Amino acid sequence: MITTNSYVLLSAILFTIGGIGFLVRRNVIVTLMSIEVMLNAVNLALVAFNRSMPKAHTGQLFAFFLIAAEAAEVAVGLAIVISIFRLRRSVRTDEADLLKN
Amino acid sequence: MLNVLTTLFPAEEFTLLALVLGMPLLGAIVNGLFGQRLGKQAVKTMALSAMGIAFLGAALTFLVLDREASHHPGHHVKLSWQAWQWMHASGTRDTTIPIELKFSVDALSGVMMLVITGVGFLIHLYASAYMEKDPAYWRFFAYLNLFVFSMLVLVLGDNLPVLFVGWEGVGLCSYLLIGFWYQHAPNAQAGKKAFIANRVGDFGLLVAMFLLVQYTGALDWNGIEAGSGSLVNQADQMQVHLWPIGGGQFQGFLSFLQPKNPLMITGATAVGLMLFLGCTGKSAQIPLYVWLPDAMAGPTPVSALIHAATMVTAGIYLVCRLSFVFVLSPFTMAVIACTGAATALFAATIALVQNDLKKVLAYSTVSQLGYMFLGVGVGAFTAGFFHVLTHAFFKACLFLGAGSVIHAMHARIHDDVKSQDMRYMGGLRKYMPYTFWTFGAATLAIIGFPLTSGFFSKDEILFKAFVNHPVNAAAAHMPAKAAAQLWQQPTWLGPVVWGMGLAAAVLTAFYMSRAFIMTFFGEFKGWTIGKAPAGAHDHHQDAHAHGDDDGDHHHEEDLKTPGPAPHESPWQMTVPLMVLATLSLAGGFLNPGLFASFFKDGKPPMEHWLEPVFEEAEKAIQVLPNAEAAHHKEYPLTFAAFAAFAVGSFVAYQFYIAKKGAPAKDMAEKAPGLYKLLLDKWRVDELYDAVIWNGTDALADTAVSVDQSFIDAIIARLTALVVAALGTVLRVFQNGVVHVYAGAMALGIVVIGWFVVVPRADVVVSHSASNADYVLDAAPGMGYGYRWTPEAGGKPQDEKFSPASTQLKLHLDADKTQVVKLEVQNAFGLTATKEITVKGPVTEKPEKPEKLGQVDLPSVNVGKN
Repeated sequence: MITTNSYVLLSAILFTIGGIGFLVRRNVIVTLMSIEVMLNAVNLALVAFNRSMPKAHTGQLFAFFLIAAEAAEVAVGLAIVISIFRLRRSVRTDEADLLKN
Repeated sequence: MLNVLTTLFPAEEFTLLALVLGMPLLGAIVNGLFGQRLGKQAVKTMALSAMGIAFLGAALTFLVLDREASHHPGHHVKLSWQAWQWMHASGTRDTTIPIELKFSVDALSGVMMLVITGVGFLIHLYASAYMEKDPAYWRFFAYLNLFVFSMLVLVLGDNLPVLFVGWEGVGLCSYLLIGFWYQHAPNAQAGKKAFIANRVGDFGLLVAMFLLVQYTGALDWNGIEAGSGSLVNQADQMQVHLWPIGGGQFQGFLSFLQPKNPLMITGATAVGLMLFLGCTGKSAQIPLYVWLPDAMAGPTPVSALIHAATMVTAGIYLVCRLSFVFVLSPFTMAVIACTGAATALFAATIALVQNDLKKVLAYSTVSQLGYMFLGVGVGAFTAGFFHVLTHAFFKACLFLGAGSVIHAMHARIHDDVKSQDMRYMGGLRKYMPYTFWTFGAATLAIIGFPLTSGFFSKDEILFKAFVNHPVNAAAAHMPAKAAAQLWQQPTWLGPVVWGMGLAAAVLTAFYMSRAFIMTFFGEFKGWTIGKAPAGAHDHHQDAHAHGDDDGDHHHEEDLKTPGPAPHESPWQMTVPLMVLATLSLAGGFLNPGLFASFFKDGKPPMEHWLEPVFEEAEKAIQVLPNAEAAHHKEYPLTFAAFAAFAVGSFVAYQFYIAKKGAPAKDMAEKAPGLYKLLLDKWRVDELYDAVIWNGTDALADTAVSVDQSFIDAIIARLTALVVAALGTVLRVFQNGVVHVYAGAMALGIVVIGWFVVVPRADVVVSHSASNADYVLDAAPGMGYGYRWTPEAGGKPQDEKFSPASTQLKLHLDADKTQVVKLEVQNAFGLTATKEITVKGPVTEKPEKPEKLGQVDLPSVNVGKN
C-alpha cells in the first residue's frame, strides 16, 4: 500500500516544480500552468491527509472548492492574457511592466 | 365672530399663529425663488398681500387675546401653538430638557406682533414705490419678507432657542439689506460690520442660554420663571467664580494672584449681564452701537423697518420678556440703566453736528434705544416698552419722511451722498407738503411736544428713572446679617441717570429741530449742485431757475445735469407717512401716565394690558421715597421734561431760523477741536480700528510669520524631503516585473516558514516577595514540548519532552545562585536550549536600609548555548 508520506512527498515535489516554473518562465500561459500545478499539488496533499480521517471529508471537499476556484482563476487569467496580447502582441510577463516605479 | 375664532383656535393649539408666521415666509420663498421671472407687479402683490394677511391674522390674534384676558383678569394669558418637538438637550443631573418649536403670544409679544406686521405692511407699501426703479426689486422684497418672518419668530418664540433662531434670522436679513447695493464697496463693508458687531452680542446670548440650562434647567419662559430661584442661590458652589476663574486656587509662584476673597457673582447677575451683552449688540448700545449708523447704507425703508422700528428693539423685548430674571440682580439692572443713559446722551451729542439726514436719524435711534434701556433698567418695563411702541411710530415716520426727501433730492441731483446732505436741502416745505407735515408731526413726537406720543413715553421713563429703585428681593428671605452683605443700588443712581436722560432730551429737541429746520425751512440750496463753482454762482443768480441751457455758462467736466425741482412722492409713500404721523401724534394716549387717575384702577390701557406680564418683576421695584411722595413728584418732573423740550427746540429755533445758522457756525469756529471730534463721532470707530482691528492684524501677522518661517519652512519641507528620499529608494524595487514580485513573496514565505520550523526557548522569571519562591515560565509556541534541568550539568527533571511542563518552581536561599536549563522541542523534532542564572534574594544590609526596595528583585543573566 502506498503511504500517506509518499503522497505528501509527491505533492511537495509537484509544488516545487510549479513554484520554480512560476518564478522562472516568462510566458504567461506557462506561468498560469505552473500555478495550476501548484494548486493541484495542494489538492493532492489535502486528499492524502484526508485518508487518515476516514469519517471526515473535509479535505476532499476542500479539494472540490479548490477545483472550482482554479476554474475561475483560469477564466480570469486567460482573459487577462488575451487583453495583454491584444495590447502588446506578446505574452511575455517581463514586457508587461507599465506599473514599474 | 370672536366666538367662532376661540372655538377654532383654542388657547393651547392656537394655529392662527401659523398663518401670521407663514405668510411672510411664503412671500419670501415665492419672491426669492421665482421673483425674477414673475415681474415687479407680481412681486409687489405677493409681498404686500403676505404682509396684509399677516397683519389681519395678528389683529385677530390680538382680539382673541384681549377677550381671553378680559375673561381671566389678572392672569398672564397666553395663546400657544407647538409646531413640533425640535430636540432634547441634556441638562444637569441627568435631566433632559425638551426644546420645542413652540410659539406663543401674550400681551407683550402681541403688541410687538402688531407693530411688526402693521408698521411692516406700511413700510412694504412705501417700499413698493420707493424701490420702483431698482433692478433687484424682487430680491428686496424677498429679503424684507424674510425679515418680517424672522422677527415674528423672534417675538413669538416660546423659548430661548426659538428666539435665537429669529434673532440670528433678523441679523442675517439686516446684513443682506444693509449690503443690498453691494456693488458699492462701503455698503458691503457696513453689512459686514453689522454682522460682526452682532456676533459679539450673540456670544453673550449663547452663554446666557448655557447658564440658564445649568441653573434653571429650562429654556422656555415658564420653565425659566419656575426655576429662577436657583439663580440667586448665595452658596459658594452655586455662584459664578470670576477670579480665580472657575473657583480654582493659585499656588506656588502664582500665589500672589490669589485674592483674599474670591470674586463671585450670582447666577442671576451672570445670566443678566450675558443677556444684556446680546442686547447691546442687537439694540446698538455702548459698546457695540457702532454698526447702526453705518447700517444706513441700506435702502431707506430698510432703515425704517429694521434699524428703527423693529429689529433694534429686540434687545428691549428680550429684557422685558425675561424681566423676572433681570430684576433678580440689582447690579445688572444698574448696568442696564447706566448703559442706556450713557448711550442716550452720547449718541445725542454726535447727532448734534451730523449733516447727513439719515445719520442724524441713526444716532437719534441709538439715543432713543438708550432711553428704552434706561426705562427697563430702572424697572419701568411698561414705560420702556411703551417707548418701543411710540418710537416705532415716529421713527419709522421720520425715516420714511427722510426717504421721501432723499427720493425727491435724488431725482434732482443723482448723487447718493449729496442727496442725503441737509446742507443742500432747505425750503422743501413748498415742494413736498405731505412729507413736511408728517415729518413735522413725527419730529414733534420725538422731541416731546406735549401730548404727542413721544412726550408721554419719554416723560414716563424719566419720571420712573427718578423714583424707581430696584432692590435685591432675595434679601427679604435671608437673615438680616447675610442680607446686609448683598449688593444694593445706591439711592443716588436714579437721579443721576434721570439727569443724563434729561440732558439727552434737551439735545434731542435741539438736533431734531435742527434737522427739521435745515430740511424744510429757508431756501432750497440744492440748485447749486452740479452747477458752476462758487465764483460763477454770484453772477448767474437767476440763471439757476432756468436750468443750465444758457450757452455761455461754462460747463466743466464734473458738472452734472441738474434734474427737475423736488417733487412730492406718490401716494404709496405718502399714505404710510400720514398713518404713521397720526399714530405719532395720538399714540401717546395708549399710555398717558400723567393722566392715570382718569382711568379705571388708575392704570392707563397699556399698563393695564401689560400688567400680568411684568407683575412678577415689578415686585422687586421699590418706589422712593414712597408711592405717595413719588406721585407728588410727577408734575414737577413732567415740567422738567417739558422744559428740556422747550429749551432744546427754542435754541434750535434761535440758531437756525432767527439767526440763519450763524451761531452754529461761530461755535464750530470757536471750538474746532470739539466740533471735529463730534463730527468724527468721538472717533470711536478709529479707536476700535486701532485696538481690535490692529490687534487682530498683529496677531494674524505673527501667526503668518510663524507659519511661514517654521511650519512651512522646516516641518513641512523636512517631512516632504524624508518622504521623497524614501520614495526614491523604494521605487527601485517596483520594477513592474511580476516575477520579481513573486520571488519576493516566495522569499517572504520561506522566512516565515523558518520562524515556524525552528524552535526558540525563552524564560520569564517571576518572584513572589512573600517567600523566596521563583516561578520560571517558558515562552509558548506551536507544538512545543519542554524539558527542564533545574541544575545545569545535572539530570533533567524528565527524560521526555512534555507540552504540559511549561512552568518550573524553584526555592532559593539567600545569596545563592542557580543555573537552570530549558530545552524545547517542536513538532519537527528540532530542539533549542536556553540556560539562565537565577539569583536568590540578597541578604539585607543594615547600613544601607534605603535600598531595601531593590533587594527583592532577582537579577537574571541570560546566556545562550
